Amino acid sequence: MTHPSFEAQVDAYLDGELAVVDARALEAHLAQCPECTRFRDGQLALRAAIASDIPKFQAPAALRDRVRAAAQARSGARRRFTVQRLWRPLALAASLAVVALGSWTLARRRVAGEVLANDVLTSHIRSLMPGHLTDVLSSDQHTVKPWFNGRLDFSPPVYDFAGRGYPLVGGRLDYVDGRPVAALVYGRRQHLINVFLWPSPRGPSGGPKTRDRQGYHMLHWTTADYSYWVVSDLGSAELQEFAQVLREADSP
Amino acid sequence: MESSELARFEAVVLPHLDTAYTLARYLTRNAHDAEDVVQDACLRALTYFDGFRGEEGTSARAWLLAIVRNTAFSSVRRQSPDAVALEFDEVQHSGAVADVHPEAALLRSAAKETLGRALDRLAPEFREVIVLRELEGLSYKEISDVAGVPVGTVMSRLSRARARLREALT
Repeated sequence: MTHPSFEAQVDAYLDGELAVVDARALEAHLAQCPECTRFRDGQLALRAAIASDIPKFQAPAALRDRVRAAAQARSGARRRFTVQRLWRPLALAASLAVVALGSWTLARRRVAGEVLANDVLTSHIRSLMPGHLTDVLSSDQHTVKPWFNGRLDFSPPVYDFAGRGYPLVGGRLDYVDGRPVAALVYGRRQHLINVFLWPSPRGPSGGPKTRDRQGYHMLHWTTADYSYWVVSDLGSAELQEFAQVLREADSP
Repeated sequence: MESSELARFEAVVLPHLDTAYTLARYLTRNAHDAEDVVQDACLRALTYFDGFRGEEGTSARAWLLAIVRNTAFSSVRRQSPDAVALEFDEVQHSGAVADVHPEAALLRSAAKETLGRALDRLAPEFREVIVLRELEGLSYKEISDVAGVPVGTVMSRLSRARARLREALT
């Protein structure tokens, strides 16, 4: 008798892409199932055959040289153009820029917050596209939290609020504000909530600040350790409640 | 492109040139076309490079390989539009085989084929996941970035491709 559900996991297991919990379950099954063990051995034999029969290639030196030359040619062309044609208008622009710089730096600080909010919202929307939501799909906080080990320079707090109606869906790596961040996904009925967090140098803020954009609600606050952004299409009141649950879990 | 940009381009692209060439080689199935594809792809990469900052969690390797892959697919289609199904259909191609000629199927059953021949005969969408995973060791996420399909599709293509290659071994 065969076990299609276990066989389907063997590839991911051998590729090192199976979650730790599932891997343990599969190992336990393999230990007592000769059919699945035979299937795994066949997959291992295939890997060995591919490694010995299917060669990797080296790019020919001439190709490498052509690519390098093309890059240099383009770089040189751009520089000559800059030097010969652009220096006069550039000088004028530079003096105008000095004047503009003063007012710009003031405006910039305000804009930085908006840019960050846009960043977060974009990541949220992208995560909702097929296949982008989670890198580690598990409702077990003890699976999701260790998954970040070696992927981030901090270990994000992960909770399961299933008892409060906000089950953990999974986690993924994301890139916000010029750094890799943890993105945790929680569910509420058919709605998804993205929680972005990364270490904050600023220290704790007050209650969450709210923003509404393109039909999504966003909440932002910082704790003593982390800067938090929470985004969802969930109703504003429920999202506030979720933030409250999260903040209570965080406070010692 | 400033000279610092040039240095960055060389640092990002050149280390992956062997991988790019290997992928192109298996997608075009010929050394000459593979060189053309990689060179074309690098010129495109140069054009888009200003926009590449390593955002969106896409590795430099996956970013470059996606360009190589798309260049190879359009080159193969241009040369022999009939040989490659334009609208790739997961169900129709569930056998994972791109046989154009029925006699090829007969030949296959008559003589045991080599693994290399079996790989060459896979549809390109299946060939590329084998090359990226088995030869180059990309993660499922990276392969999904290169091929522009969800991770689940990467997994099902890998398992079908492997099943087909196992037949060649028996």
